Amino acid sequence: MNHLSEEELIEQYYSRDDTGAGGHLAACAECAETYAELKSDLAAMQTAAPPARDAAYGERVWRSIAPFLPVYEARKRSWLRGGAWRGLSYASACALLVAGAFIAGRVWEHKQIQTTAIAIPAAIPQKAAPPQQRLVVVVLSDHLDRSERLLVELKHADTGSEEMVSPLRDEARSLLAANRVCRQNAKKNDDPALAAALARLDHLLVELANQKGGLNAASLARLQDEMNSDSLLFEVRVLRSRIPDQQPVANNRRNGGTI
Amino acid sequence: MIRMGKNDFAVIRAILAGDKEAYGALVERHSHSLFRVAFRITGNEADAEDVVQEAFLRGYQKLESFEARSSFGTWIYRIAVRGALDKISRRPADDSSRVAGAADPEQDEVQVADTAVRPDRLLLSGEIGALLQLAMQRLTPAERTAFVLRHVEDCSTEEIAAALGIAPSAAKQAVFRAIKKLRSRLAPLRVNP
Repeated sequence: MNHLSEEELIEQYYSRDDTGAGGHLAACAECAETYAELKSDLAAMQTAAPPARDAAYGERVWRSIAPFLPVYEARKRSWLRGGAWRGLSYASACALLVAGAFIAGRVWEHKQIQTTAIAIPAAIPQKAAPPQQRLVVVVLSDHLDRSERLLVELKHADTGSEEMVSPLRDEARSLLAANRVCRQNAKKNDDPALAAALARLDHLLVELANQKGGLNAASLARLQDEMNSDSLLFEVRVLRSRIPDQQPVANNRRNGGTI
Repeated sequence: MIRMGKNDFAVIRAILAGDKEAYGALVERHSHSLFRVAFRITGNEADAEDVVQEAFLRGYQKLESFEARSSFGTWIYRIAVRGALDKISRRPADDSSRVAGAADPEQDEVQVADTAVRPDRLLLSGEIGALLQLAMQRLTPAERTAFVLRHVEDCSTEEIAAALGIAPSAAKQAVFRAIKKLRSRLAPLRVNP
């Protein structure tokens, strides 16, 4: 039989619950004797009673320490005041920073505008004009493409088919505005050939778009004759053929650089 | 172990709200208990009073960190125990209260200052408590504190561990070591039936 160690006996002595040693102590006389000695020794270990303190002891302790204790509210208030001032300081600094940035931005922007205003007149004769031309060419290129397709369709249109007529009229109406812009620009740029061709195209488009009573076989046939007599389709193709010479411009347009 | 007064939490809230004087109620309520445990650990009246004052000062300073997981009584009790432990740990080796001539701390024999007093007379005159105090002074501060908390203050192992800031197993071992040493040193005084 394994006997209980001193640690186990001590634990049994102080334990508020049965540690499991109780059964062994009941069965083992040797351990029971050892445990009895332990209990006797521990029972004899009575330390001296602390000196009595009168009822006023607590009050004396309080009076001795009270002068050294800060008031929590005062500390919090001072902290809050400090925090408020710190907050106001930060807010002021931020406001100044924002205001400074705003003023600097305005000044910088104003200077940029002045610089641009000064620089543009000098640049206009050499550099500002080409972009304008490029813009017109781009519009003209598209416009001539669309016009050419319209004229081809008109040339081969079946005058008896209403289904073919209606899209031609709609396309003619949408081309009218662009044609006028191109025409005005051609006049401005002193390009009489282009202006004349666009003028004839304008006439055709007006008739095509605003034919009284709608397009019928007779009016379509008349417009086809007019187009052929004016060699308008050929002329548009010639004008359109000039565009490849300005391919870089077209590239710019595709690249979005022009517009 | 000190138990919580029902309105301690209300008092603490008042203190933290700025009512410094309210702390006086807590001091008066728990001073006696703190003095008792401080005296038992330090074995000295003046040291015990110092421990009580320092514990309440420290408690007030840390009151904002007090969490209501335990009672204020338990909380301030632990502060006092640690203060008492620090106090006896800082004592110089040649403290006059120690037993003179104790060169070997592991020596089992207790040497009392008055060698004319025989152990059997000590027992008969009921002065074993004084001899016990001398024996306790030869324990390490941790052993002594653990023993006082266990044997006198009836603290559980967990409470001792929490008060000393050590693991429960270490607290239990500290109690075992203290009792073994005390029994060994008090053995010559044992009266066999």
